[in-house]
Amino acid sequence: MHGELKFADLEAARRDLENRTLAKIEGDFARLIYLASMRDYNTGEYHHEGLACQFTETLARRVLAATHRDVFRRLVLCSVEELVEQLDSYVRSNGSTLSDFVRVWEKLQPYTVTVPLDSSPLTARFFALNVRAALAVLERRQARPLPDPRSASPRP
Amino acid sequence: MTEYPLFLAMGVTALAVSLVFLLLRKRRSFYEYPDAKDQETSIPISWDPLTSELSARIFNPDDSDFVARESSRQVARWFRTKRSSLALDWVLAIRKHVNLLMQTYRRAARNNPDLNPANELSLGFEFLLFHVTSGIFYLVVWLVGPLKAAAFVRYPLGLAGQLRKMTEDILPRGTPVAVELLDNKPEPNNRTATL
Repeated sequence: MHGELKFADLEAARRDLENRTLAKIEGDFARLIYLASMRDYNTGEYHHEGLACQFTETLARRVLAATHRDVFRRLVLCSVEELVEQLDSYVRSNGSTLSDFVRVWEKLQPYTVTVPLDSSPLTARFFALNVRAALAVLERRQARPLPDPRSASPRP
Repeated sequence: MTEYPLFLAMGVTALAVSLVFLLLRKRRSFYEYPDAKDQETSIPISWDPLTSELSARIFNPDDSDFVARESSRQVARWFRTKRSSLALDWVLAIRKHVNLLMQTYRRAARNNPDLNPANELSLGFEFLLFHVTSGIFYLVVWLVGPLKAAAFVRYPLGLAGQLRKMTEDILPRGTPVAVELLDNKPEPNNRTATL
Protein backbone atom coordinates (compact mmCIF):
# COMPACT_ATOMS: atom_id res chain seq x y z
CA MET A 1 0.00 0.00 0.00
CA HIS A 2 3.00 2.20 -0.45
CA GLY A 3 2.21 5.68 -1.68
CA GLU A 4 -1.51 5.23 -1.22
CA LEU A 5 -3.15 7.81 0.96
CA LYS A 6 -5.98 6.71 3.19
CA PHE A 7 -8.89 9.04 3.68
CA ALA A 8 -8.74 8.56 7.47
CA ASP A 9 -5.09 9.64 7.51
CA LEU A 10 -5.89 12.68 5.40
CA GLU A 11 -8.70 13.63 7.71
CA ALA A 12 -6.49 13.16 10.77
CA ALA A 13 -3.78 15.33 9.23
CA ARG A 14 -6.30 17.98 8.28
CA ARG A 15 -7.71 18.05 11.79
CA ASP A 16 -4.22 18.25 13.20
CA LEU A 17 -3.37 21.22 10.99
CA GLU A 18 -6.60 22.97 11.86
CA ASN A 19 -6.49 22.38 15.60
CA ARG A 20 -2.79 22.85 16.27
CA THR A 21 -1.88 25.54 13.79
CA LEU A 22 -4.74 27.30 12.07
CA ALA A 23 -6.85 27.67 15.21
CA LYS A 24 -4.15 29.94 16.61
CA ILE A 25 -4.25 32.20 13.57
CA GLU A 26 -7.04 34.73 13.65
CA GLY A 27 -9.04 35.25 10.46
CA ASP A 28 -9.00 33.63 7.06
CA PHE A 29 -6.75 36.25 5.56
CA ALA A 30 -3.99 35.56 8.04
CA ARG A 31 -4.48 31.84 7.44
CA LEU A 32 -4.18 32.36 3.71
CA ILE A 33 -0.91 34.23 4.13
CA TYR A 34 0.38 31.50 6.43
CA LEU A 35 -0.59 28.65 4.12
CA ALA A 36 0.85 30.40 1.06
CA SER A 37 4.10 30.89 2.96
CA MET A 38 4.33 27.11 3.44
CA ARG A 39 4.68 26.74 -0.32
CA ASP A 40 8.00 26.64 -2.12
CA TYR A 41 8.13 29.41 -4.73
CA ASN A 42 10.13 27.28 -7.13
CA THR A 43 8.42 23.93 -6.95
CA GLY A 44 4.96 24.98 -5.77
CA GLU A 45 5.08 22.22 -3.14
CA TYR A 46 4.12 22.70 0.47
CA HIS A 47 6.33 21.94 3.44
CA HIS A 48 5.36 21.63 7.07
CA GLU A 49 7.94 20.05 9.31
CA GLY A 50 5.63 19.10 12.17
CA LEU A 51 2.91 17.65 9.98
CA ALA A 52 5.41 15.73 7.87
CA CYS A 53 7.00 14.23 11.00
CA GLN A 54 3.71 13.17 12.47
CA PHE A 55 2.27 11.84 9.23
CA THR A 56 4.20 11.69 5.95
CA GLU A 57 5.69 14.32 3.66
CA THR A 58 3.20 13.48 0.87
CA LEU A 59 0.25 13.59 3.18
CA ALA A 60 1.34 16.90 4.68
CA ARG A 61 1.64 18.38 1.19
CA ARG A 62 -1.80 17.18 0.18
CA VAL A 63 -3.42 18.49 3.32
CA LEU A 64 -1.71 21.86 3.11
CA ALA A 65 -2.66 22.25 -0.56
CA ALA A 66 -6.29 21.33 0.13
CA THR A 67 -6.57 23.62 3.13
CA HIS A 68 -4.98 26.43 1.16
CA ARG A 69 -7.57 25.94 -1.61
CA ASP A 70 -10.34 25.91 0.96
CA VAL A 71 -9.33 29.11 2.72
CA PHE A 72 -8.74 30.84 -0.61
CA ARG A 73 -12.15 29.76 -1.86
CA ARG A 74 -13.84 31.19 1.20
CA LEU A 75 -12.08 34.52 0.70
CA VAL A 76 -12.78 34.67 -3.03
CA LEU A 77 -16.47 34.08 -2.49
CA CYS A 78 -16.86 36.56 0.34
CA SER A 79 -18.02 40.11 -0.31
CA VAL A 80 -15.68 43.09 -0.49
CA GLU A 81 -17.22 44.29 2.75
CA GLU A 82 -16.24 41.05 4.51
CA LEU A 83 -12.81 41.24 2.91
CA VAL A 84 -12.31 44.71 4.38
CA GLU A 85 -13.07 43.29 7.84
CA GLN A 86 -10.70 40.39 7.22
CA LEU A 87 -7.90 42.73 6.16
CA ASP A 88 -8.57 45.05 9.08
CA SER A 89 -8.38 42.12 11.50
CA TYR A 90 -5.18 40.93 9.81
CA VAL A 91 -3.54 44.36 10.22
CA ARG A 92 -4.51 44.49 13.89
CA SER A 93 -3.14 41.00 14.52
CA ASN A 94 0.29 41.64 13.02
CA GLY A 95 0.90 44.89 14.83
CA SER A 96 1.62 47.16 11.85
CA THR A 97 -0.15 50.46 11.33
CA LEU A 98 -2.94 50.63 8.81
CA SER A 99 -1.27 53.36 6.74
CA ASP A 100 2.00 51.41 6.46
CA PHE A 101 0.13 48.23 5.63
CA VAL A 102 -1.94 49.82 2.88
CA ARG A 103 1.11 51.58 1.39
CA VAL A 104 3.23 48.43 1.30
CA TRP A 105 0.46 46.18 0.07
CA GLU A 106 -0.48 48.54 -2.72
CA LYS A 107 3.12 48.67 -3.83
CA LEU A 108 4.26 45.07 -3.41
CA GLN A 109 0.90 43.38 -3.95
CA PRO A 110 1.86 40.34 -1.86
CA TYR A 111 -1.68 38.96 -2.14
CA THR A 112 -0.91 37.92 -5.72
CA VAL A 113 1.37 35.14 -4.47
CA THR A 114 -1.25 33.76 -2.10
CA VAL A 115 -3.30 32.25 -4.92
CA PRO A 116 -3.32 28.42 -5.00
CA LEU A 117 -1.54 26.87 -7.95
CA ASP A 118 -4.61 25.32 -9.56
CA SER A 119 -6.71 28.48 -9.52
CA SER A 120 -7.74 29.88 -12.86
CA PRO A 121 -6.30 33.24 -13.97
CA LEU A 122 -9.85 34.61 -13.85
CA THR A 123 -10.22 33.65 -10.18
CA ALA A 124 -6.81 35.14 -9.39
CA ARG A 125 -7.75 38.40 -11.10
CA PHE A 126 -11.07 38.50 -9.29
CA PHE A 127 -9.36 38.02 -5.94
CA ALA A 128 -6.72 40.66 -6.67
CA LEU A 129 -9.41 43.15 -7.69
CA ASN A 130 -11.36 42.56 -4.48
CA VAL A 131 -8.27 42.95 -2.32
CA ARG A 132 -7.30 46.17 -4.09
CA ALA A 133 -10.81 47.52 -3.60
CA ALA A 134 -10.71 46.51 0.07
CA LEU A 135 -7.37 48.30 0.45
CA ALA A 136 -8.85 51.43 -1.13
CA VAL A 137 -11.73 51.30 1.33
CA LEU A 138 -9.34 50.87 4.26
CA GLU A 139 -7.22 53.75 3.02
CA ARG A 140 -10.27 55.98 2.74
CA ARG A 141 -11.46 55.00 6.22
CA GLN A 142 -8.04 55.75 7.62
CA ALA A 143 -7.90 59.15 5.94
CA ARG A 144 -11.32 60.10 7.26
CA PRO A 145 -10.99 62.39 10.29
CA LEU A 146 -12.14 60.82 13.53
CA PRO A 147 -15.19 62.48 15.07
CA ASP A 148 -14.34 64.95 17.82
CA PRO A 149 -15.23 63.24 21.11
CA ARG A 150 -16.13 66.62 22.70
CA SER A 151 -18.76 67.35 20.10
CA ALA A 152 -19.94 63.76 19.72
CA SER A 153 -22.16 63.55 22.80
CA PRO A 154 -23.56 66.64 24.40
CA ARG A 155 -23.51 66.67 28.17
CA PRO A 156 -26.84 66.32 29.88
CA MET B 1 -44.32 41.34 -44.28
CA THR B 2 -44.24 41.76 -40.52
CA GLU B 3 -41.65 39.07 -40.04
CA TYR B 4 -39.01 40.84 -42.15
CA PRO B 5 -37.87 43.21 -39.36
CA LEU B 6 -37.65 40.25 -36.99
CA PHE B 7 -35.47 38.24 -39.39
CA LEU B 8 -33.38 41.31 -40.07
CA ALA B 9 -32.86 41.90 -36.34
CA MET B 10 -31.90 38.25 -35.83
CA GLY B 11 -29.47 38.39 -38.72
CA VAL B 12 -27.87 41.58 -37.47
CA THR B 13 -27.56 40.13 -33.94
CA ALA B 14 -25.97 36.94 -35.23
CA LEU B 15 -23.54 38.94 -37.35
CA ALA B 16 -22.68 41.23 -34.46
CA VAL B 17 -22.07 38.29 -32.14
CA SER B 18 -19.85 36.59 -34.71
CA LEU B 19 -17.92 39.79 -35.28
CA VAL B 20 -17.34 40.34 -31.58
CA PHE B 21 -15.99 36.83 -31.11
CA LEU B 22 -13.87 37.07 -34.23
CA LEU B 23 -12.26 40.21 -32.82
CA LEU B 24 -11.86 38.68 -29.40
CA ARG B 25 -10.06 35.67 -30.78
CA LYS B 26 -7.33 37.96 -32.02
CA ARG B 27 -6.91 39.64 -28.65
CA ARG B 28 -4.68 37.22 -26.85
CA SER B 29 -3.48 38.08 -23.41
CA PHE B 30 -1.44 36.62 -20.61
CA TYR B 31 -4.61 35.65 -18.80
CA GLU B 32 -6.10 33.68 -21.63
CA TYR B 33 -6.74 30.01 -21.15
CA PRO B 34 -4.67 27.58 -23.15
CA ASP B 35 -6.08 26.72 -26.55
CA ALA B 36 -8.35 23.77 -26.91
CA LYS B 37 -5.70 22.29 -29.22
CA ASP B 38 -3.19 22.23 -26.39
CA GLN B 39 -5.58 20.31 -24.21
CA GLU B 40 -6.66 17.74 -26.72
CA THR B 41 -4.50 15.07 -25.19
CA SER B 42 -5.17 15.94 -21.62
CA ILE B 43 -8.30 14.34 -20.27
CA PRO B 44 -9.80 15.24 -17.88
CA ILE B 45 -9.88 18.90 -18.80
CA SER B 46 -8.72 20.88 -15.88
CA TRP B 47 -11.16 23.43 -14.66
CA ASP B 48 -11.20 25.54 -11.58
CA PRO B 49 -14.69 24.97 -10.12
CA LEU B 50 -14.45 28.34 -8.46
CA THR B 51 -14.82 30.00 -11.84
CA SER B 52 -18.45 28.93 -12.08
CA GLU B 53 -19.21 30.04 -8.55
CA LEU B 54 -17.72 33.43 -9.32
CA SER B 55 -20.82 34.31 -11.33
CA ALA B 56 -22.69 34.74 -8.05
CA ARG B 57 -20.28 37.49 -7.07
CA ILE B 58 -19.39 39.03 -10.43
CA PHE B 59 -23.01 39.76 -11.25
CA ASN B 60 -23.95 40.77 -7.70
CA PRO B 61 -24.42 44.52 -7.10
CA ASP B 62 -23.49 44.40 -3.38
CA ASP B 63 -19.75 44.83 -3.90
CA SER B 64 -20.11 47.74 -6.31
CA ASP B 65 -22.58 49.43 -3.97
CA PHE B 66 -20.26 48.95 -1.02
CA VAL B 67 -17.21 50.29 -2.86
CA ALA B 68 -19.23 53.27 -4.12
CA ARG B 69 -20.37 54.01 -0.57
CA GLU B 70 -17.01 53.53 1.13
CA SER B 71 -14.50 54.95 -1.32
CA SER B 72 -13.96 57.81 -3.74
CA ARG B 73 -15.87 58.23 -6.99
CA GLN B 74 -12.71 57.44 -8.93
CA VAL B 75 -12.17 54.11 -7.12
CA ALA B 76 -15.83 53.20 -7.56
CA ARG B 77 -15.62 53.84 -11.31
CA TRP B 78 -12.39 51.86 -11.57
CA PHE B 79 -13.98 48.96 -9.67
CA ARG B 80 -17.06 48.92 -11.92
CA THR B 81 -14.89 48.94 -15.06
CA LYS B 82 -12.74 46.07 -13.78
CA ARG B 83 -15.77 44.05 -12.78
CA SER B 84 -17.28 44.53 -16.24
CA SER B 85 -14.08 43.31 -17.82
CA LEU B 86 -14.06 40.29 -15.50
CA ALA B 87 -17.69 39.55 -16.35
CA LEU B 88 -16.88 39.52 -20.07
CA ASP B 89 -13.91 37.22 -19.49
CA TRP B 90 -16.10 34.98 -17.37
CA VAL B 91 -18.52 34.52 -20.29
CA LEU B 92 -15.58 33.71 -22.56
CA ALA B 93 -14.23 31.20 -20.03
CA ILE B 94 -17.58 29.41 -19.85
CA ARG B 95 -17.80 29.31 -23.65
CA LYS B 96 -14.30 27.96 -23.91
CA HIS B 97 -15.06 25.29 -21.38
CA VAL B 98 -18.22 24.18 -23.14
CA ASN B 99 -16.22 23.99 -26.37
CA LEU B 100 -13.72 21.72 -24.63
CA LEU B 101 -16.57 19.62 -23.31
CA MET B 102 -17.93 19.17 -26.81
CA GLN B 103 -14.50 18.32 -28.21
CA THR B 104 -14.06 15.65 -25.56
CA TYR B 105 -17.53 14.38 -26.30
CA ARG B 106 -16.81 14.19 -30.04
CA ARG B 107 -13.68 12.16 -29.42
CA ALA B 108 -15.57 9.80 -27.12
CA ALA B 109 -18.50 9.54 -29.52
CA ARG B 110 -16.28 8.40 -32.41
CA ASN B 111 -15.73 5.07 -30.68
CA ASN B 112 -19.32 4.59 -29.60
CA PRO B 113 -21.43 2.41 -31.92
CA ASP B 114 -24.68 3.05 -30.02
CA LEU B 115 -25.17 6.65 -30.98
CA ASN B 116 -28.69 7.83 -31.58
CA PRO B 117 -28.91 10.32 -34.49
CA ALA B 118 -31.88 12.09 -32.90
CA ASN B 119 -29.95 12.63 -29.68
CA GLU B 120 -26.92 13.85 -31.59
CA LEU B 121 -29.03 16.34 -33.52
CA SER B 122 -30.60 17.55 -30.31
CA LEU B 123 -27.15 17.94 -28.75
CA GLY B 124 -25.93 19.90 -31.77
CA PHE B 125 -28.95 22.17 -31.54
CA GLU B 126 -28.36 22.77 -27.81
CA PHE B 127 -24.72 23.57 -28.51
CA LEU B 128 -25.73 26.08 -31.18
CA LEU B 129 -28.33 27.58 -28.87
CA PHE B 130 -25.74 27.87 -26.10
CA HIS B 131 -23.39 29.76 -28.41
CA VAL B 132 -26.09 32.16 -29.59
CA THR B 133 -27.38 32.71 -26.03
CA SER B 134 -23.95 33.22 -24.50
CA GLY B 135 -22.99 35.46 -27.42
CA ILE B 136 -26.03 37.63 -26.90
CA PHE B 137 -25.36 37.62 -23.16
CA TYR B 138 -21.81 38.77 -23.84
CA LEU B 139 -23.16 41.67 -25.89
CA VAL B 140 -25.64 42.57 -23.16
CA VAL B 141 -22.87 42.60 -20.52
CA TRP B 142 -20.72 44.68 -22.83
CA LEU B 143 -23.54 47.16 -23.46
CA VAL B 144 -25.15 47.56 -20.05
CA GLY B 145 -22.61 46.12 -17.62
CA PRO B 146 -22.72 43.00 -15.46
CA LEU B 147 -25.11 44.32 -12.83
CA LYS B 148 -27.92 45.04 -15.25
CA ALA B 149 -27.22 41.85 -17.16
CA ALA B 150 -27.32 39.72 -14.01
CA ALA B 151 -30.90 38.61 -14.61
CA PHE B 152 -29.86 36.86 -17.82
CA VAL B 153 -26.84 34.92 -16.54
CA ARG B 154 -29.00 31.89 -15.84
CA TYR B 155 -29.69 31.33 -19.56
CA PRO B 156 -26.18 30.49 -20.78
CA LEU B 157 -25.43 28.69 -17.51
CA GLY B 158 -28.63 26.66 -17.74
CA LEU B 159 -27.89 25.64 -21.32
CA ALA B 160 -24.33 24.72 -20.41
CA GLY B 161 -25.69 22.55 -17.59
CA GLN B 162 -28.08 20.91 -20.02
CA LEU B 163 -25.23 20.18 -22.42
CA ARG B 164 -23.30 18.56 -19.62
CA LYS B 165 -26.22 16.31 -18.79
CA MET B 166 -26.67 15.37 -22.44
CA THR B 167 -23.01 14.44 -22.85
CA GLU B 168 -22.76 12.59 -19.54
CA ASP B 169 -23.98 9.24 -20.91
CA ILE B 170 -21.39 8.90 -23.60
CA LEU B 171 -18.31 10.29 -21.96
CA PRO B 172 -16.09 7.56 -20.54
CA ARG B 173 -16.06 7.05 -16.83
CA GLY B 174 -13.17 8.81 -15.13
CA THR B 175 -13.54 11.71 -17.54
CA PRO B 176 -15.26 14.14 -15.27
CA VAL B 177 -15.19 16.70 -18.05
CA ALA B 178 -14.70 19.02 -15.21
CA VAL B 179 -18.00 20.64 -15.55
CA GLU B 180 -18.36 21.08 -11.88
CA LEU B 181 -18.66 24.49 -13.36
CA LEU B 182 -22.06 23.94 -14.53
CA ASP B 183 -23.41 22.47 -11.37
CA ASN B 184 -24.53 25.91 -10.39
CA LYS B 185 -24.83 24.97 -6.77
CA PRO B 186 -22.50 27.02 -4.62
CA GLU B 187 -21.26 24.88 -1.80
CA PRO B 188 -21.47 26.16 1.75
CA ASN B 189 -18.53 28.30 2.75
CA ASN B 190 -17.53 26.07 5.63
CA ARG B 191 -17.15 22.85 3.71
CA THR B 192 -14.27 20.61 4.59
CA ALA B 193 -11.16 20.40 2.50
CA THR B 194 -11.40 18.54 -0.77
CA LEU B 195 -8.56 16.11 -0.71
